[in-house]
Amino acid sequence: MATGGYMLLLILLSSLLPGVAIFFLREQQFALRTALNLGGATLKFLLIIALLVGVYRDGKTYSLSVNLLPGIDLVLAADALSLLFATLSAVLWLVTTIYAIGYLEDSPNRSRFFGFFSLCVSATVGIAFSGNLITLLIFYEILTLATWPLVVHRGTAESFRAGRIYLAYTLLGGAVLLGAVVWLTLLAGSEPFTAGGYLHHLSADQGPVLIMIFAMLMAGFGVKAALLPLHSWLPRAMVAPAPVSALLHAVAVVKAGAFGIVRVLNDVYGVELAADLGVTLPLLLLAIMTIVYGSVRAVFADDLKQRLAFSTVSQVSYIILGVALAGPIGAVGGLVHLVHQGVMKITLFFCAGNFAETLGIHRVDEMRGVGRRMPWTMTAFTLAALGMIGIPPLAGFISKWYLGLGALEAGLAWVTVVLVVSSLLNALYFLPPILRGWFSRREGPWPDERHGGGRLETHWMLLLPTMAVAAMALGMGLLASLTISPLYWVTFIVEFEYGYDHIWRAIFEWETP
Amino acid sequence: MTPDLWLLLIPLTPLLLVSALALPVVGRHLWRLTPLAVLPALAGALWLPEGAWAFYPWLLLGTELALDPVGRGFLLLTALLWGAAAVYAQGYLGADPSRVRFHAFFLLAMAGNLGLVVAADVVFFYTSFALMSLASMGLVVHEQHFESWRAGWVYLGMALVGEVALFTGLILLVHDAGGHGLVRVWEQPPGMAAVILLLGGLGVKAGLVPLHLWLPLAHPAAPTPASAVLSGAMIKAGLLGWMRLLPPGSVPEALGTVLVVLGLVGAGYGVLAGVFQHRVKTVLAYSSISQMGLMTAGLGVAMMHPALAPALISALVLYALHHGIAKAALFLGVGIAQRVGRTAALAWLLLPGLALAGMPLTSGAVAKTLLKAPMYDAPVDLSLVTLLLSTAAAGTFLLMLRFWVLAAGGSREPRPVPVSLWLPCLALVLGTVVLPWVLAPEDAFKALAVEPALALLWPMGLGLLIGGIALLLARFRGWTLPRWIPEGDLWVPLERGGQGVLGWVSRTPGFWHMPGGGFTLALVHGVPRLWAAWLDRVARGERMLLRWETLGLLFIGLVLSMLVAVYLGAVMVMS
Repeated sequence: MATGGYMLLLILLSSLLPGVAIFFLREQQFALRTALNLGGATLKFLLIIALLVGVYRDGKTYSLSVNLLPGIDLVLAADALSLLFATLSAVLWLVTTIYAIGYLEDSPNRSRFFGFFSLCVSATVGIAFSGNLITLLIFYEILTLATWPLVVHRGTAESFRAGRIYLAYTLLGGAVLLGAVVWLTLLAGSEPFTAGGYLHHLSADQGPVLIMIFAMLMAGFGVKAALLPLHSWLPRAMVAPAPVSALLHAVAVVKAGAFGIVRVLNDVYGVELAADLGVTLPLLLLAIMTIVYGSVRAVFADDLKQRLAFSTVSQVSYIILGVALAGPIGAVGGLVHLVHQGVMKITLFFCAGNFAETLGIHRVDEMRGVGRRMPWTMTAFTLAALGMIGIPPLAGFISKWYLGLGALEAGLAWVTVVLVVSSLLNALYFLPPILRGWFSRREGPWPDERHGGGRLETHWMLLLPTMAVAAMALGMGLLASLTISPLYWVTFIVEFEYGYDHIWRAIFEWETP
Repeated sequence: MTPDLWLLLIPLTPLLLVSALALPVVGRHLWRLTPLAVLPALAGALWLPEGAWAFYPWLLLGTELALDPVGRGFLLLTALLWGAAAVYAQGYLGADPSRVRFHAFFLLAMAGNLGLVVAADVVFFYTSFALMSLASMGLVVHEQHFESWRAGWVYLGMALVGEVALFTGLILLVHDAGGHGLVRVWEQPPGMAAVILLLGGLGVKAGLVPLHLWLPLAHPAAPTPASAVLSGAMIKAGLLGWMRLLPPGSVPEALGTVLVVLGLVGAGYGVLAGVFQHRVKTVLAYSSISQMGLMTAGLGVAMMHPALAPALISALVLYALHHGIAKAALFLGVGIAQRVGRTAALAWLLLPGLALAGMPLTSGAVAKTLLKAPMYDAPVDLSLVTLLLSTAAAGTFLLMLRFWVLAAGGSREPRPVPVSLWLPCLALVLGTVVLPWVLAPEDAFKALAVEPALALLWPMGLGLLIGGIALLLARFRGWTLPRWIPEGDLWVPLERGGQGVLGWVSRTPGFWHMPGGGFTLALVHGVPRLWAAWLDRVARGERMLLRWETLGLLFIGLVLSMLVAVYLGAVMVMS
């Protein structure tokens, strides 16, 4: 076993231990709780950077294996894909923590909130670093349970209802997933994730069984990724406080599902085997239906957060669309959207939270003239929303560009039509709030104005994280060719996972004069 | 300064200024600096060395900027017009409460327009194009009237459709070429699908008939300085895009025929629809459609006969410069004409109008002569095209007569004209005369010869004749011009038709008795009802599901049955 596995454990503990400690704090211990929160988040961020340096500069591998049952290991490992997801979680956790401290200022039950918040992130990072399906499953279930108290945090009847719907969907999804994982383990043993999959030897005589297990895995992960018939918990879970929705939609829950699907497709089955079994096309069709359905529902949603939630349903399926194209360039588009969607959506939810907290705006038609009162938040909203539509030079454009090229590469030119339709639908539900915000005039007072009179348009802890993530959404598109950009990283992953040596050249060196 | 930095500064300067507008204390005064933002572009158009090229591996997907002769002409045009409009806006919008917002969108659109001229790869071209298109929405709806919102929605809808068509066309190009640099893209002739998508996607911007519907609505709705750049500079982005992405020689010749036909139809239709307008700025917008039609036809001839392409392309660049400057001068002049007396108003508007119609000694004469000259040398007979081009010139003169009549008439309130209004306008008016002598003195001289001058003058004479008769009829018989063609021509019946059809279908019970009507009725009424019923059932199911006992039992049962299934499966596999 390679050395350095303790690093992974430390990264897990850096959010787990503060989380547990926070549970025991009294409500008034604001300073200590904030210190624990920010300390843990910063520590995790630094550790991840150290890990990145170790992997990329020094070529180290990190893994940690504990024997759980005979033949079944609990494996933590850091490969390129897990680092991508872990970095996304760590960075967004840091900004969301700052945001949440500002957002929940003077509200009750903050210790409970931040405790579960930290647990939730620990589980997400655990999912990122899971080295095999069993480990992934365990963290996946922990995530399900740790998120529930956050969804029902407000304690209203509505939020309990949303919480129960959430549990009903995710627990049943988790049960299906459990069945699939056990079945697969019985068939193939508890193998670690392997680029290109580890089921080749079974495909000859176990084809139908593998297809069945694939369907169960997709159903299990699809619940969290909000794939079409299993999506309806997500728009209701938006009753949660804004930072929770933000994290839920950007990295934690929804992304965990998408990440699981990517893992299964790339590291359990392998793209080639999946294509041979004929399961990628149904997955592709499902993703497409989800994309269109989510966008259509978003057009008719009047509540801002609900509109964003349906948009998530649609956008997360871009990731699945990308990997289901079963080609390297499509995978670049899909995986890079894992990061891009996270950053853009967290920006949008932060903005929605800012509007709600500062002015009491909850519905889209209340946004008239908000650009004059809150220009910075509105700028962030505009950037992220245009990115979602896929307007260059924002992050979403990069995803859409490679998804389009990937579809052509896979010989599925008709998929570009889906991208076009989805872009137009996105424009249909994102442009009206933008235009209202900038160009309409507000008559009368705001529904519920707070944080007024200061030099900033709202509390700095709400504004600063919003601006930071908006800048990231812009930077990831504008500077997509830098070596630290998600695109560069994803290209690295895909080249490694798919074993194509031309992909790097195709993306980064074709312009070298 | 190295070309690297210089080329980048051309689109970057307006963007830097936009971000400076956000500065805390000084920010809200910095809109005064807007005219300065074009300086790097203007200097670049004049002094950047031939063949300047730069590569920025860190920007977007690897960005190339370059300045070729075509780009230089367009850069000069873009920089001049945006600069003039920016100076004009200082006076025109100086007291507007939303002036900072106007200038922010103005600068963004400016950056996009300058960027797409110097772009040498398709991603940066698309980025700039999108920036320009979306930011100009802010200019169209700036006044926030009902009319500007309507124009804005039509504009935005069509611009977005154009945008996605362009996107799809570009990824098709890039997929075929294996790279996104323009040089790389040119190596591969574009496929049929890409050609159609690019034709349409850029055609929306260029006002190609029948994609021009937004143009007569949006150009007049914007504040005057914005109208000037919309109609003078931004409309040319479509033409430039065609030149860049569908270079003559590598596209099918049939595309050339399509462009010639659509272009000439547009040239004629623009005149026809424009003459019946009753608002000054709308007449100018239709004149832009007509003029863009002429340029489109010119590009089409180049595509049909690639041998003529070099001469035609350089003629088109000059034509674009001429039209842009004359049209912007007219738009800016309209703003002045409302503030001065009748004679002074006509004096401001006379010269650019004559230039547009091709009066000898003006830029129009040179541009038109240059555009037609290669067509006489064509291997096949193009006399029909040249004849139609000349006839269109007659139409242009007629349109200008209509414009002058409208601009001189109507109520006016004399007000002082500040220097920030008359200076840029004067510069552009003079530009229509001076420019050909500066840029192409030999050609300007040649255009003075008898034969080309006659070719320019007879259409004007024809236009004068028709216009004169109409004026006389109006004066002595009291005839007024009927309102046959509304602003936005085809859009109006489309809009009414859309509402009308929906209303008619819902109001007509007889409709449901026709064959298949019952089925349609069932579909229209039944599907939502079914959907609602289904949602209801789902909700009820969910309610039951939500009871803890059900949930727990289900969960345990599911896990157990899974395990059993897995166990059985494993046993079967082993046996």
